[in-house]
Amino acid sequence: MTTTDRIIAMLVNDFKVEPDRLSPTARLEDLGIDSLGLAELLFNFEDEFHLKLPDVPLDLATFGDVVRYVDEQIAAQSTPPTVAPASAHDAQVVR
Amino acid sequence: MKRVAVTGIGLVTPLGHSTREVFESACAGRSAIQPIIGAATGRLRSPLAATVQFDTAEHFDVQQQRLLDRVAQFAVVAARRALADSDGALTSLDLSRVGVFLGTGMAGIASMDDGYRTLYADASDRIKPTLILQGMHNAAAAWIGIENQLTGPNLTYSTACSSSGVAIGEAWLRVATGAVDLAVAGGSEAPLALGSMKAWEAMHTLASSDVAAPSASCKPFSKNRSGMVLGEGAAIVLLEPMDAALARNATIYGELIGYGLTTDSSHIARPSAQGQASAMRAALQSAGITADQVDSINAHGTGTIANDVAETSAIRSVFGDRAGAIPISATKAIHGHLLGAAGAIECVLALLAMRHRIALPTMHLDQSDPECDLDYVAKVARSGAAGNIMLSNSFAFGGTNAVLVLRSS
Repeated sequence: MTTTDRIIAMLVNDFKVEPDRLSPTARLEDLGIDSLGLAELLFNFEDEFHLKLPDVPLDLATFGDVVRYVDEQIAAQSTPPTVAPASAHDAQVVR
Repeated sequence: MKRVAVTGIGLVTPLGHSTREVFESACAGRSAIQPIIGAATGRLRSPLAATVQFDTAEHFDVQQQRLLDRVAQFAVVAARRALADSDGALTSLDLSRVGVFLGTGMAGIASMDDGYRTLYADASDRIKPTLILQGMHNAAAAWIGIENQLTGPNLTYSTACSSSGVAIGEAWLRVATGAVDLAVAGGSEAPLALGSMKAWEAMHTLASSDVAAPSASCKPFSKNRSGMVLGEGAAIVLLEPMDAALARNATIYGELIGYGLTTDSSHIARPSAQGQASAMRAALQSAGITADQVDSINAHGTGTIANDVAETSAIRSVFGDRAGAIPISATKAIHGHLLGAAGAIECVLALLAMRHRIALPTMHLDQSDPECDLDYVAKVARSGAAGNIMLSNSFAFGGTNAVLVLRSS
């Protein structure tokens, strides 16, 4: 199954979204996914795709944005970075 | 002050889901307390509880199931039932003048327990994004408001075991003074998570299992009582001005005529007979009646060593020589201690007792305690004995004593 297929299955099962409404340009809020719903969705993506998603505000407005974001994260996390960002620790402390 | 009628009842209880089923069980003294079996119940000294038969999927879609802790699910379903029972109490009301007044002691404790298991037992940081919304104390009341678009006051009372006595009393005040035109009032509790059960156990408040008859383990006012048994569930009543209820030809279950609220402010856990008595006196004063006019009492009657002696002494001090002639029912023996929902289910049982003119039995009272020497309607329901005016007592850790005065319609 592609990323798209897996996300469609999650939206249909967990959020009762009609599958034919899931075009790339469909807006999440029109699908009934509010900010809490998006937080739940991201939480579930971590299990489904074995990801650790960064805890930063996301600007994901459409279904297409979500699929693209997950694909990017899968790509980024399948090849671990060789050098850790120097500021990562500081940033965590500040937050 | 306006007269206030009870015009709807909604129940989700260990004794059943309809007023008829619940009242029949209470009359027959059929205990819902039983041994519980689960992955971790072996860690409980006395794995007993009064549980609710409840199919979540029958009442909520998948999204709601994730967002509503069991305590909120019980509350919402009980409110639906009360509103359906009222035969249109909400019709033609301005919903900004309808309030929700709910008691809960432990709120979404099972969800919190689950979150802490993830955090500590599994050493994982994967806390669900919904956890705060499941665990917070006002969630159950909020969901009742959201489902019915009720935009008046939406208040949650958490005074441990008197929470829903307080909630109903405070709702009564709002209706009686005209601040709201209808109140959805009661309590909900779902405390049967391992963490909370172990905490109650650690306090030595829970009954030890009666080996011969586990369902008889809670024995209020009995010499061989050993404590309470936890229960879960919700009970909701609708309160509306009597004139409005009469005008729309509503079924009137009874009338709430007074409410006494006092605080021990002495010990965080030990009940004070003086504090309990002062709440009963305040309730009588609020109702404008004398002690002689009270026909029967639904006791707090937890079956703990301390409560039952204190409550007996408090009743003696309020009613004097007449105390021994007043039928007193302790129904926690069969529905368990619903903590923040206890006052609400007992208020409902008191209303139904008067409606059917039956004093409910205090079950499992075989051996009388010399220190508990009143008429507890031991083991057998008594026809014609409930009378027309009842007190419903709710006392609590923290010292908040709430007493409701109910009159038959």
